[in-house]
Amino acid sequence: MEAPPVTMMPVTGGTINMMEYLLQGSVLDHSLESLIHRLRGLCDNMEPETFLDHEMVFLLKGQQASPFVLRARRSMDKPGAPWHLRYLGQPEMGDKNRHALVRNCVDIATSENLTDFLMEMGFRMDHEFVAKGHLFRKGIMKIMVYKIFRILVPGNTESTEALSLSYLVELSVVAAAGQDMVSDDMRNFAEQLKPLVHLEKIDPKRLM
Amino acid sequence: MGVTCVSQMPVAEGKSVQQTVELLTRKLEMLGAEKQGTFCVDCETYHTAASTLGSQGQAGKLMYVMHNSEYPLSCFALFENGPCLIADTNFDVLMVKLKGFFQSAKASKIETRGTRYQYCDFLVKVGTVTMGPSARGISVEVEYGPCVIASDCWSLLLEFLQSFLGSHTPGAPAVFGNRHDAVYGPADTMVQYMELFNKIRKQQQVPVAGIR
Repeated sequence: MEAPPVTMMPVTGGTINMMEYLLQGSVLDHSLESLIHRLRGLCDNMEPETFLDHEMVFLLKGQQASPFVLRARRSMDKPGAPWHLRYLGQPEMGDKNRHALVRNCVDIATSENLTDFLMEMGFRMDHEFVAKGHLFRKGIMKIMVYKIFRILVPGNTESTEALSLSYLVELSVVAAAGQDMVSDDMRNFAEQLKPLVHLEKIDPKRLM
Repeated sequence: MGVTCVSQMPVAEGKSVQQTVELLTRKLEMLGAEKQGTFCVDCETYHTAASTLGSQGQAGKLMYVMHNSEYPLSCFALFENGPCLIADTNFDVLMVKLKGFFQSAKASKIETRGTRYQYCDFLVKVGTVTMGPSARGISVEVEYGPCVIASDCWSLLLEFLQSFLGSHTPGAPAVFGNRHDAVYGPADTMVQYMELFNKIRKQQQVPVAGIR
């Protein structure tokens, strides 16, 4: 295997910066079954995996214009699983030819007292939601097809309502910085899902 | 992890830190303890940067980020009298990202390094506490592996501690406090180390020229 390309971001503290490569799309509820069927055929052979997660987004406001965002996610159907803390950086404004959205990401598994700890650090919860759906894998690619539910009463995950009549589809890879061939592989896989779903690079800034 | 007691061993009269550590380890070896590698526990201090204080209207808090070689893939983050978070080592990467909000007090990195001894069900770690180049004290950690409830084995631990610490045997650690029947965990050990490091930081510099 040839040496990986020189990383674009410096190695800090002895660790290599990991980047998340992302493509997103959506399907209406009634098209879900055909998409799941095709994914089951294309992806790695494994027991169909579903998930029910509760995600809370925390902000730390400082003197800087933009607050620091951290996402805390816990599994509601797999007791004993660690909580997942995630930091996502700003999308990299690389060349337009890059097929996927690329941003720095740091994933940390933590103990259950994560929310108390974040509050102690000064973070405040901005919003929360429940995500329910299916998970597929193909090599290092992760495909999630899930529905977002709004939580009606803060803190109460029992009373939720669906945000829309569709499912969000995300194709993502977490890899070391500089591995641009990853986005080519992702684009090729996304081609195979057309016309059921169109996965594309969606810049979050353009939506706001 | 079993119930653990972390305490400080004062430096012997007229001796250096290193000599006192040697006295202790020799006593342990005579007891019949077996040397089993080394250990390291370190602690970095972070305080909330001035820029975030204004919006919260509260005094800056100190956050300690610690590592323990007994759990090489974990990172412990704690506040004094606050929650202790156990995370994986990517937490250190996150602290680098949070540089603007949490400043590390570089000079206050403190660590203890030494040898691990196994004596039947007891795991004893005697370490030299250092801040930068200077040795500031001695830490002694004793773990009784088979038991995880503090109230069930404190008297046994105390007896063992007395057998080699003699008059320097500590009292029951504060973490046992009101939770005698709760299951003991690694976070409790890290809280004990944090308290020990804070105590040593406040003490006057040990009047010897440090370890060579």
